[in-house]
Order: sequence, then C-alpha cells, then structure tokens
Amino acid sequence: MDNLPSASATDSRNPQETLQTIDDWQVLSPIAILYFTASVFKHMFGNLIYLIPALAVSYKSVLEHPFIWLPSILVAFALLTLFAFVSFKVYRYRLTADNIEIRSGIFSKKYLNLPFSRVQNVKIEQPLYYRLTGHACLQLDTAGSAKNEAKLVAIKLEFAQQLKTRIQSQVQNNTIETNQENDCANGKEQPGQSADSAVTKETLLNTRKLSDLVIHGITSNRIWILLGGLAPFYDNIFDSVGEWLNSLGIDFTELFSLQTHSLLEVGLFALSLTMLVMLVLVSFSVVGAIVGFYGYTLSKLDDKYIRRSGLFTKHEVSMGLSRLQMIVQKQDWLDVLLKRINLQFEQNNSFGKNQSLSATSSKIIVPSIKPHECQALIDDAYPDNSLNTLVCNDGFEPISKRFILRNILLVLMPLWLIATSITLLNDRLMIAALVSILFVGLCGLVVLRWKRWGIARDQNFIYLRKGLIGVDYYCFPTYKLQQTQFKQNLLMKKRQLATVKFVLASGSLKVPMITEKLAYKLIDEGLYKVESCQQSWM
Amino acid sequence: MLAPNFSNPTMPIEQLPSILTLDKQSLSEQYAPLNRLINLGFTLLVCMFGMTLYFQPFIDLPKGLLNSLPFFIWAAAILGFLFTWLSYARDLVRSYALRELDLHYTSGLFFRTVVSQPITRIQHIELKRGPIERKVGLATLQVFSAGGEMHTFQIPGLPVDTAQQLRQFILQHKDVIKHG
Repeated sequence: MDNLPSASATDSRNPQETLQTIDDWQVLSPIAILYFTASVFKHMFGNLIYLIPALAVSYKSVLEHPFIWLPSILVAFALLTLFAFVSFKVYRYRLTADNIEIRSGIFSKKYLNLPFSRVQNVKIEQPLYYRLTGHACLQLDTAGSAKNEAKLVAIKLEFAQQLKTRIQSQVQNNTIETNQENDCANGKEQPGQSADSAVTKETLLNTRKLSDLVIHGITSNRIWILLGGLAPFYDNIFDSVGEWLNSLGIDFTELFSLQTHSLLEVGLFALSLTMLVMLVLVSFSVVGAIVGFYGYTLSKLDDKYIRRSGLFTKHEVSMGLSRLQMIVQKQDWLDVLLKRINLQFEQNNSFGKNQSLSATSSKIIVPSIKPHECQALIDDAYPDNSLNTLVCNDGFEPISKRFILRNILLVLMPLWLIATSITLLNDRLMIAALVSILFVGLCGLVVLRWKRWGIARDQNFIYLRKGLIGVDYYCFPTYKLQQTQFKQNLLMKKRQLATVKFVLASGSLKVPMITEKLAYKLIDEGLYKVESCQQSWM
Repeated sequence: MLAPNFSNPTMPIEQLPSILTLDKQSLSEQYAPLNRLINLGFTLLVCMFGMTLYFQPFIDLPKGLLNSLPFFIWAAAILGFLFTWLSYARDLVRSYALRELDLHYTSGLFFRTVVSQPITRIQHIELKRGPIERKVGLATLQVFSAGGEMHTFQIPGLPVDTAQQLRQFILQHKDVIKHG
C-alpha cells in the first residue's frame, strides 16, 4: 500500500494526468446522506414485501391504535436517519495510482481494496436527488461475486467520468499487453489503437425516441409480473373499485343485467371495460419503459460500448467489446408484428444475477429497434458474423422431428388421456371437449416450438434460433465457450440423436435433439477453437 | 499486418480430436461399494427409526399413524434398496478422461452425459474431502469456470493421489498460468 511514489511515477504515461492521485483518505460529500437514507429505505421496503400479508390481515386492528404505531414509525424513521448519517460518517475512500480502497460499515467493518486492472465493468448512476448538485455514484464490478463490488457513493460527476476513463484505459492497456503475450491466432486488437485511444471521440451508435420507448412498453408486457404480485389483493381491489364506481353512480350489477339491457349492450360494455383495463395496464408498462430508458443513447468509445438512459435515475453502463459474451436478438410475437427487435449484449453473469431485463442490469439492452439498425449494431460488434445471411436464407439446421413426437407422446398425451378419462367418467362432456381443444392447441405450440429451433455455425461463431411464437437469435464466438455438455438418453441413442449444452460466462444454451454426428462435431470443434486460440474470454 | 508467428491452416473436421474416442479412466474401485454402503446404511437407519417408533412403549401414537407405519417402513425399505441398486449401477459407469488440454467426465445410466472442460477456461480448483472420504482416502475434484456455480465440473471418488496429481497438472498447465 505504501508504494505510492513509484506507482504514480509509472503512471506518467497515463492520458489522464490531470487526475491526481489522492493519498489521503477522503470523505464523501454530505449529499451522500441522502443516498444512504434512500438505500436503507429501499432495503427496508424490499423486506417489507414479506410483511405485507401480515399487515394486510391485521391492519384494521393496527389502525385502531394510533398511539402505538405513530410513535413507533417515528422512532424507526429517526433510527434510519441516524443509521444513514453514521454510514456516511464512517465511509472513507482512497485512490492510488492503480487501485481504489474503500472503508465502510458501522457494525461489520468492510475494507475493500480493488486494483483497477481487475475491474470488469464501470457503471455510473445518477439518482434524481443527485442531479441538482451534480453528484453521481460510481460502481465498479469485478469478475467475482456481486457482493465484492466497489461503490463510490457520492462524487462529482466530472470526477466520476475522469475516473472511469482512467480505470478503463488501465484495463485496456492490461488486456492489450496480455493479448500481445498470447500472440493469439485471432488477435484483432492492434497495439496501435491504444496509443491514440485518448484522442478518439465517442461515436453515437443509437438513440431511442419516445415513440420507440412507447412501442417497447407495449411489446414488453412486464405488467403481468405486477398482476401476479397483486393477486392476493384482487378481492379487495375489486370491492373498493366497485364501491368507488357505485359512489359515482355507476352500478355494475345493473349494467350487466340482461333484464334491463340487451345482450349486445352487455357485450359492448364488457368489451369496452376490458379494453379500458388493458389500456391502463399497457400504459403502466409504457411508463415503466420510459422511466427506465428515457434519453437512451448507445455510443462507442474505442472498443467500449456505453449505454446511458433513465428518466429519474440516470444509468450509465459500459462494456468492453472483449467482455461481450453473446449477442441476443429477441422478438416477441408483438415485436414480430411490429417488426421490432430487442437486442441484448450479454456479459459475465456473475454480477447482477437477479436483474433481468430492467434498465439497471449490467447487460446492454437496445430496446425495440428496427431490423436494419439491429443488423448494423451486430455487425459493428462482430464484423465477420453471418447472422443476417443465415436468417435470410434460413441457413439454420433444424432439430429432429422426434422432438414433436417426444413432447406430445410422452408429456401431453398422458396428461390429456388422464384428464379426458376422468371428465368423461364423470359425464362432464363440456370440460372434456375443452381439455381436448387445449390439448390440440398445446400440440400446435409444440410443433411451432420445433419449427423455431435451429442451429448453425461458421468459422468463428455458433448461432442458435429458438422461440415459440416470437423468435430469438443467439450468436456467440466459439472461443468464448466455458464448458460443453453432451447429453443422450437410451431412446435418443437408438435414434442417434443428442442434446448439446454450451456453457458461457453469460449463461448456458441448450440445443435439444440434434443428430449425434452434429453434436460431436459442435463439441469437438468448440473445444478445438477454445484450446487452439489462446484468446481470453474476458 | 499479420503477427510474425501467425498461422491459420485449414483444419479438416475429421482430424480434430473427438470426445467420442476418449481414453476413459474409471473412478476409484472403492467409490461405488462405498456409496452402496452409505445408501444401505441410510435406508437401514430410516427403517430402524420407524421400527423403534412402532414398538416403543413410551409415547402413544395416533391410531392412524400406528396403523400405516408398517406400510411406510416397507415402502422406505423397498425404495431405499431400489435407489441403492440404481445408484450403484450408476456409480459403476462413471468415468473421467484427461487430455492434454481438457478434462472430461462421463456419467449417467439412462441419461448419458459427457461434460468437457477446457483447462484454459478454469478459474480455480477445489479438492473436497468429507469425513468418510478422508477415512477411505478418496477425494472429489471440483473445477470452477466462469460458467457459474450451476456448471461446476466435478469428478467424485478419486483416489487422493490421483486427485492431487490432477490438481497439480491443472495448476501447472501453461494455459492456466497464462490466464491466471
């Protein structure tokens, strides 16, 4: 830790010489108290979700005793504020030439020392309440677990930007050095690029207009998740809505009664009501998309992708091209109709595990772009990929038709037989017919699923197509493979079929029921690629 | 523009080393019998527990439970034996293979699986030994890649010496040293 002078001396070639190293432990700006309070609250409300059922049951009796709950809430509030204040007081950070140290924690003290060269991913986050004072959070992810991340909680935005460029230039120098050592067969990075890396400007690759975000909100119906969460309260909600409407002079039972209105009228009422509810739900989703992705820009600096977005809290995620593990092109059924694509650049999955498609996740999402924009972005990341030609010429190899047979015969058929025999024995003809219709529908979906499956490969990449009604395309460089798995059961062996699983740092991909020969080929080639090309996966 | 020692000759697929022709090494001879013993012992323990519950004079059990207890004991015994037999057969077909640049582990009776782990993608290694494994001199080799915890490559039932040799081989492997 005390090699500061020598370290800063070697740092002299650094482009960011203006950014001086700070030898002493630094205190955050007091605005950080706000951040700590907010995070404590967030944490608490995250846990409060588990308490909601208990509260919902007893809230009437709780409400009857205001002299108990009022002071206790006040005390809790005071404690939280105190906690946030002390958190701020004990937080110290120190920057040396090539690493960062953070001390934090009230009861359990934490000391974190992170060399810049180990940083995987730099994120800048600017919550709403920081925007007035121009502060920001700088989050540094490492390849390790999500717990070991460093977060500089309240620093000036410019300082955060400077720090980011410095850390990233260091990381880049590091990777170039190792790549040169490795003299990889595929080495695309030329050392010359790093020299003028400080000069190159950020180029804007993509922006999202408000209309695009509206489309994204409509197509990504994340609202169903919310609906599922609200399920226990449906009764209460419907009751209170009914009461409210009654007080407005609208009576449901009268509206929908067939005695006072004709069938057509009631049908129209029901239709317009569902439309209204759908409209409300979709608008929620649209609002969610706008909050997450407002002012979306995707730009490129050297070989780094930078995504900025957010209405209230501004997020900035950047990812080096070498960190990119896989490109995913997703199209839901609505996206297919509207000809829009959600593009994802996926990286190491060890951080941000439980954040799926939200704006805060560390993968780079480009929401609802048009096909040609999507193609441009993919070609920018992987110039020699042939996903587009594969898609156009349908160059994907289909999986075995036995996939349909297996799923219908071994999964759906038994269920259907049991269900229909039970219902028929009980003389429930109507239900049996409904079950049969459902069965036929599911069989159709299985066929559709089979039709979507496809795999293709070329010199450097493996491509995968899957989906149900929508279509998703996955494309990853073969050398990024971490592990391969070959799976085969006795029935498949008889038919010379096999399932292959590719394990990547961003997750695993499975291709079911391809021919044994192709499976062996894929694995042998994959292993050869990984082992012969000494390129690092990071 | 080319790096000095760059070469990229075309590689016919037929000449690639195939995982179809792996030189499979079986696990320690003690491993399968030991597992059988443990499974049998556990089954016996469950049955004994049920039996003591049935015959003990101290606590009055509900009538329903008392009547169905023999059935449960029989079921546990039969299932336990079946499971023991199956897992013994499964343990016998487990094998691993070490090539110069990758590790393979084959397993499964009805569902055959071959997991292949290139050594260059290994992040760290763990040698795991429980109390019973320590007693009989066995070890489990765990290999972690960036593929996540779900995809930890592991070879159970290795003789300690073999496991340590394997670990040493991996640690001193040129690929691991380079990317360490």
